[in-house]
Amino acid sequence: MSIKRRTVLTGSAAGVVSLTSSLAAPAIAQSDPIRVGYLPALTGPSSSTGVGITRGTELAVDVINKSGGINGRKLEMIVRDTQSDPTKAVNAVAELTQRQKVAAIWGPLNSGEALAATPLIARDKVPMLHPCWVDSLIDVKKYPMAFRMAPTNTQVGKGANHYVFNVLKLKKVAVVSDTTGYGTSSANTYVPMLKAMGAEVVYTNHVDAANPDLKPELLRMQSAGAQAIMPWSVNAGFLSRILNTRGAMGWDVPVVGQTTLGSGQTKALLDKPENWNKVYSNNFRNCCYVNGKLPPRAAEYVERLKKDKIEFADTLLWWVALGWDGAMMMAETLKAAGPKNTDMVAYWNNKVKGWPGIYGTVTWTPEEHNGFPDEDVVMCEVNSLKDGAFNIAPGYSS
Amino acid sequence: MLESILSYGLAVGAVYALIGITYNVMFSASRVFSFTAGMLGMLGGVLGALFIDKLGMNAILGFVLVLACGALLGVVTEILTVRPVLKSIEQHLYVLSTLAFALMVQQVTAIEWGTDAQPFPALIPIDPDSILAIIDQKFWLPLLACIVTIVGLEFLYRRTLIGRAFLAIAEDSYAARALGLPETGLRMASFALAGVIGAMAGFTGAQMLLAYFGNQPILSFYGFVPVALGGMGSNRGAVIGGLALGVFQQAANFLVGGIFAAVAVFAVFIVVLLLRPEGLAGAATARRV
Repeated sequence: MSIKRRTVLTGSAAGVVSLTSSLAAPAIAQSDPIRVGYLPALTGPSSSTGVGITRGTELAVDVINKSGGINGRKLEMIVRDTQSDPTKAVNAVAELTQRQKVAAIWGPLNSGEALAATPLIARDKVPMLHPCWVDSLIDVKKYPMAFRMAPTNTQVGKGANHYVFNVLKLKKVAVVSDTTGYGTSSANTYVPMLKAMGAEVVYTNHVDAANPDLKPELLRMQSAGAQAIMPWSVNAGFLSRILNTRGAMGWDVPVVGQTTLGSGQTKALLDKPENWNKVYSNNFRNCCYVNGKLPPRAAEYVERLKKDKIEFADTLLWWVALGWDGAMMMAETLKAAGPKNTDMVAYWNNKVKGWPGIYGTVTWTPEEHNGFPDEDVVMCEVNSLKDGAFNIAPGYSS
Repeated sequence: MLESILSYGLAVGAVYALIGITYNVMFSASRVFSFTAGMLGMLGGVLGALFIDKLGMNAILGFVLVLACGALLGVVTEILTVRPVLKSIEQHLYVLSTLAFALMVQQVTAIEWGTDAQPFPALIPIDPDSILAIIDQKFWLPLLACIVTIVGLEFLYRRTLIGRAFLAIAEDSYAARALGLPETGLRMASFALAGVIGAMAGFTGAQMLLAYFGNQPILSFYGFVPVALGGMGSNRGAVIGGLALGVFQQAANFLVGGIFAAVAVFAVFIVVLLLRPEGLAGAATARRV
């Protein structure tokens, strides 16, 4: 084969280009920030969670960057407000993965948005951390790069069932839900779990949440001999009607269920403050007061929040802590494994064992991407809110 | 049990009856079945809670303002969604235009007010030991509103010139126009009146139903049942149908409960319509040959 002059020139030019680019690339890479996509709902009906979690995330990013960043590079969160809308979340994912080329994504923070966004993030092979509860969002075969830092809906139901049956030692339970997808699927999942534990589900029904009078339902529960009511709904109107009717009937049974039982919206609809007594909602052991004190990690974190003047009394401590944990997990992974997607996933699969978060302790394996331990899902007294945290419900060993 | 069935049943039934009357008042003046009746009911509760609870107005001023907003929305409904489609009424485009307007208002309410139910204040301060406190005001307020409305409408339609003009328009709008009656003005007044009645239904029922954007489809739906049961255009039929529906619904809540209560209500509704398609109080339409 003869070597022509043109071939030599072309080859040299290509060599120079390749040399310059190979020399320049590390220089740019070392100074550029590492970009991570962040998908909170900062506006719209689900925004209270997003705003709370964002306070923790922003503080963590600030702390990470002030203490040297990720091996000398800054951590940059590219924030896209999903506006509580799955369509907006999907658009944001496309932008973050394809245009911004983020190393990983933290979020979405609500299940509705995560259900729409997760398949797209998986398709683009971007590592993803999220705190959403819907069980099907984690599937190591379908979404091998998705990891959860929070409990699943099954764990949430299991925590409530455990409290009623094993802690309060009540055997006869009434389970009621509204007619939404969340309500019916929760009740249909948790009732067999209760029965498997040995509890007697003496009454179960799906009720229209708009029904203004729930006295017939509660009378039926009472005459069936229910010792506890477990309502599954995120509708504050429905839950407050159960509590108000229980109060008006003078029926002193505990009500045990989902976090909305303890929300400000539910509180605002109560006829009397006493109707919130003996009401226990899901919470997380590490963010609850035990004998008036937070566990050491959370207590230390609250001191930091106060020092940095981060407002948390108007939100929930576990939301802020979760935001902090998400950003800290990202930073630690990027520091140890670098921004390559397969390396990040390998790190999460193999190195995260008993990771001590503020919100909870996280452990992942190649087969299990749900990282939250069952025993950290506890119930709290809804009428004990102080500085964004609740008292752990009575009966747990500390 | 009987006490609970009657108190809740009659109170909710009175709200349904008032929504039914709202449908009727709009229908009489325009021959248009406007799907904004539930929207007016929902806004009665939301605006009442906004004015009294959030903005701190006294109950009377709040009530007057809610009625004024209802009247204004009635007029806007007529101008935006009814007038443009009246010329081709046989194509029933009003179904789309009124429903679209109602859905838009509901979405704006959800965005601005929120998607959670919010409390509605007790309107009349009553000493809990007084005789008036035996029956909660949330039960008798809708009934009182229903009685005042039906008596007021009877008086309006039978004793006043403007009321007779409304009836003339409803009976034969061409003939009424030929006699010099201002058809457009009377139709707007009718929609304003319907707005007042719909908003009053939501306002007086809101202690029971709460200030909640999700009440709109329920009121639209259950408010339609008394109209169909009582006969289109018959206010007395709507009142009887509404109260019967409320009591039956509450009895079904006690007897079967859960989602089966709604099934029972609609099963009876379908049976009644199969037996009497013109409604219980309506007259069968004679067909000219």
